[in-house]
Amino acid sequence: MGKRVLVVDDDPDVRLFSQTVLEENGYIPVLATNGEEGEEAVKKEKPDLIILDVLMPRESGIRLYRRLKTNKKFKDIPIIMLSGIAEKSFLRSQKVLTEFGGDPVPEPEAYLEKPVDGDILADTIKKVLG
Amino acid sequence: MNQHNEKNMVIRKMLFVTKFEELGFGALQSLLPLRKSALEHVIFMNVIERDRVAMQRGVGYKKSEERKLREQANIRFIDWAENLFEQGMEVGAYIVVGNLVPQVIDAAEKENADLVVIGRRSRKMMEVFYSGADITELLSRIERPVLVYKNRLDTGSILEKPFKKPLLAIDWSPASMRAVEYLKNLKDVIHKINVVHVASSKELKGTSNFDIQQLRKEKREKLDKICEVFLANGIEAKSHVYVGDTIEEIERAAGERKSTMIVMGSSGKSTWVERWIGSTPRYIAEKSPYPALIIPYGGDH
Repeated sequence: MGKRVLVVDDDPDVRLFSQTVLEENGYIPVLATNGEEGEEAVKKEKPDLIILDVLMPRESGIRLYRRLKTNKKFKDIPIIMLSGIAEKSFLRSQKVLTEFGGDPVPEPEAYLEKPVDGDILADTIKKVLG
Repeated sequence: MNQHNEKNMVIRKMLFVTKFEELGFGALQSLLPLRKSALEHVIFMNVIERDRVAMQRGVGYKKSEERKLREQANIRFIDWAENLFEQGMEVGAYIVVGNLVPQVIDAAEKENADLVVIGRRSRKMMEVFYSGADITELLSRIERPVLVYKNRLDTGSILEKPFKKPLLAIDWSPASMRAVEYLKNLKDVIHKINVVHVASSKELKGTSNFDIQQLRKEKREKLDKICEVFLANGIEAKSHVYVGDTIEEIERAAGERKSTMIVMGSSGKSTWVERWIGSTPRYIAEKSPYPALIIPYGGDH
């Protein structure tokens, strides 16, 4: 049975693209459209990997990332960030939130800036899942 | 609004509706002092008007045009979002195709926004980006505070701090009293509030000088009670009574007090009192050169 990969992205084109890449490579995609839905899906589906966008309605990937990585139940689920937001802005935001009194969080397992090539996404998933 | 935000009337979440031409990053930055109060989450919104991508004979639905417009908006929002994320703020974005007013109301409800910001260039500008009809419809349908943002009268440039020196126009309606509740929590943003009431000429007809002075005194005392609320919350406030045409006098007061915006209550519901039934806040929002913060009564809240 293939591993379950949760894709959290508000852009339907990106969800479809990721779904196609995942299915072609034998994974089971689970889709969510924002941070809130994403968190629900993490609880319900217990994914082996999460592909997470940053800029989304309702809740950004930055807050969801922090919550997952500071939750002992979910912190070991690897996360690939897939976003138009630059990696350095993501890392800076996490640093600032930690400085504001939040718990420190590790860097994501991988960071891909959009647009990403299907082969690169597939290779990254393979590498992160070992 | 949720129970918590409604009770405390603070601005935690702001929905920033832009077509980019009228509300750019400069306008957004001018509102970031609200962070000193409670602002922590900004939602960007760009509504692509249906007309721009609608079906046309011989062309069909302009999917590529929609894609181009979405991508343009996305690129700008990403740039703005990176800046805010790096400051530790929470940011979200909506890029949607449809009619402006229902889309804005829908997003404001979904996001539980405490403030909706929408742009309108001053009268001196050639182009009005959101029509008066759009703004009127939004104000009459939404149950959340709306800031109609306008650039500076004299130069057309961005106001540095729109919340620095507001003029609060009071008509004692539930909506205008709610405006007091809304502003009183902004002590870290507001430098001074001028609180004004305009007594109509009608109220003065056939009265003696003594009666006029008495009327002024009564209004002033009522306004002073409102000023005391602000003072108790650490905000300098001063009361003023003007007499004459409501709209003209509000604008006169704003000019004389060098106000950065006009704040007033508004409601399409039966909570209106006196003569400000719809027309004054609508005019101030649509046509006045001053940015206008319109606070609804909040329906059944």
